[in-house]
Amino acid sequence: MNNFIASTLALVWQEATVSRWQMIKQGVLEPDLSKFLVIAALLFIIGVAGVLTRRNIIVIFMSIELILNAANLNFIAFARYLQDTGNMNAVAGQVFTVFIIVVAAAEAAIGLGLVIALYRNKETIFVDKIDLLKW
Amino acid sequence: MTLSGWEAVFFWVFAIAALVAALLTILAHNAVHSALFLISTLVSVAALFALLGAEFIAGVQILVYVGGVMVLFLFVIMLVNVGAEERGSEMLFNRPAQVATSVIFLVLLSLGFIYAIRQGYEGLLARDNLTTREQREEAASQRRESQQNLRLAATGTSRISEDTQLVGASLYRFAALPFEIASVLLLVAIIGSVMLARTTKQEAATDDIETARGD
Repeated sequence: MNNFIASTLALVWQEATVSRWQMIKQGVLEPDLSKFLVIAALLFIIGVAGVLTRRNIIVIFMSIELILNAANLNFIAFARYLQDTGNMNAVAGQVFTVFIIVVAAAEAAIGLGLVIALYRNKETIFVDKIDLLKW
Repeated sequence: MTLSGWEAVFFWVFAIAALVAALLTILAHNAVHSALFLISTLVSVAALFALLGAEFIAGVQILVYVGGVMVLFLFVIMLVNVGAEERGSEMLFNRPAQVATSVIFLVLLSLGFIYAIRQGYEGLLARDNLTTREQREEAASQRRESQQNLRLAATGTSRISEDTQLVGASLYRFAALPFEIASVLLLVAIIGSVMLARTTKQEAATDDIETARGD
């Protein structure tokens, strides 16, 4: 048990090469690729929280768009990183992002069509009232 | 790819704005408020794209995502009645057991993210020889040098980057097949959403048959 807690803390608590204050200052004044990845991860987590906890189906769709945007941010951050480190295929991240935006638009159109059809038949948009297939 | 100076300031401003707006999206009572907060999130993320040098993708995000998808969301919110929720008589969140389970899952997910970002980032820096500060400064000066070769913009204060050109070239040469498949996907989505959202009266009208009363 002690080992488990120690190793979990080791995940999040980095050892300090320079002083910890210096590390924080450098992280704030010169954001690097890892800060973008952290922001994208936080957006992803907020999107997943929205999908799992809200009852309104349209807000669930909007949280799915948040998740897709987090993935887009990851792709673009890596595209810029690869461009800076001289990789030839650096623009592939941006091409991926274009396709993710296209797929998200198509999915939103179909999903909202489904919502309209559902509302016409069941007069509700709350997911816990849509339980015809439940045991 | 270290940002510094004013770019760092704008990064923190837009990053905090995106996170706060995303939080408010999932916490808002009114669905229209959620949609407007999501629009703020998308615009902040587009600004982050522009900071990362992807101006074309920032423009596409605002035109397509904000101008197309979010307008569609707002139309559907208006078509569907959300009056009960904004009057406060309906619950916003699921039952407590489900919310607790999702919170536990999210804690585990964030621990996994921290671990993955930490390990992966150190490994990536080691692979690209960017671990010490001097190596990073050298990479930054190399990037500045290569940017001196770009064309000057009209007013002479900035340079025209080649990103859009490269993305376009990729889309029409190497990514031509996914591009065509994306067009077919959009066609299928158009036809599908028209079919899904039609009433039975509209379907019957195109087939020239009589509908029974009460359909």
